[in-house]
Amino acid sequence: MPGAPMVEQDDLLLSLQMADSAFPSGGFAFSWGLETLKADGHVCDGGGVYAFAHAQLRWRWASSDRVFLRRAADLEALDALVALDREVEAMTLAKEMRDGSCRSGRALLRAHAALGSRDVAQYRKAIAEGRALGHLPVAQAVAWRAAGMTADAMEAVSAYTLVAGIGQAAVRLALMGPLEAQVMLTRLRPEISRLLAQALPDQPHAFVPMAEIAVMRHETGDARLFAN
Amino acid sequence: MSVPVAETKTGAARVGIGGPVGSGKTALVEQLIPRFAKRRTRLAVITNDLVTKEDAERLQKSGLIDPERVVAVEAGACPHTVIREDPTLNLDAAEMLELRFAPLDLVLLESGGDNLASTFSLELVDYWMFVIDVAGGGDIPRKRGPGVLQSDVLIINKSDLAPHVGVDLEQMIREAEAVRGGKPVVVTNCRTGEGIDRVVEYIAHDVLFDG
Repeated sequence: MPGAPMVEQDDLLLSLQMADSAFPSGGFAFSWGLETLKADGHVCDGGGVYAFAHAQLRWRWASSDRVFLRRAADLEALDALVALDREVEAMTLAKEMRDGSCRSGRALLRAHAALGSRDVAQYRKAIAEGRALGHLPVAQAVAWRAAGMTADAMEAVSAYTLVAGIGQAAVRLALMGPLEAQVMLTRLRPEISRLLAQALPDQPHAFVPMAEIAVMRHETGDARLFAN
Repeated sequence: MSVPVAETKTGAARVGIGGPVGSGKTALVEQLIPRFAKRRTRLAVITNDLVTKEDAERLQKSGLIDPERVVAVEAGACPHTVIREDPTLNLDAAEMLELRFAPLDLVLLESGGDNLASTFSLELVDYWMFVIDVAGGGDIPRKRGPGVLQSDVLIINKSDLAPHVGVDLEQMIREAEAVRGGKPVVVTNCRTGEGIDRVVEYIAHDVLFDG
């Protein structure tokens, strides 16, 4: 942006780095139920992937993950972050959702540890000691605050990476091609903007029953390209 | 000039085992486990099964190792990514194993098996081996894939099959040694155990500094 203040350009570059799918965070190994929904015949094409992604965004991310992310972004004390982490655990029903959230959260923190943040090191220590779990919304807040992101930028990157990750999983599941995945992202971007502009719900809540059942069925499923 | 990474690796040595599907990676691990147990090396294993948990379950049910010390990490259909471009899930699995079973001396990390382009990031492992087999073709070494060229040890497995698949094993070995510029090439039969002791010696000497 020619003439834009240096701070704005720095913030943009930071968000680009954090949202880049090349940033190592383990996200590529999770389908959040899409693999089983395809195996069970419930999602067969790009239209089905769009509906899945929209539901994940609207009825899980915006109403639950966003709330936890924002709350964690406002917390400095380690004990309070750990308590919030435990609350995410209590509110996540399916085992592979909990596992996926913790594994991807820990992977994100592992990558950020390489950037040298003391807060990230402290939270990783709390996880190693068994006090914290590393659920993704809390891990994102800890890692991204340490990197210097604003809470608004954290929300945008969190929503974007969820949807982009679903698109990448769909490509590998042969549900859509990479160009169609970009069309899907383009259609969902205004919805992300709309959700980001809405007031935060008072209490976290999520309701994506078909996806959650699919994640539960994935535990005993034969095909396991993805971790959930 | 390398860019310094803040958190350096401590703890158990990590050895990667890569190579094409069906070349004998899991069979190699099955041969290594009892030999390291005999040396009292404290061991854990991570597998990157591509589609099923079959490799992990095979090791867990083998009786060779406490099944809890074998962990499967899914690759999301990206076997190269999970050992190279984004090894954070494997790093996390290794750290969890070290926390649970400390002290650990060695973690073996078996890749999901893909093609000749796979290589391990040295942010994930300290040392890695690439397993090819004679039935995959005697010309594989001279195709100079990154795995063949860059691995610390190249293993040519299923030596007994060479006459049955029309492969001149001696020529295959010569070509492998030539393209690798003298780096180790070990011929094995992972079903009978032939050649495995030499693999163990390389790991013990080069990685564990033991013998």
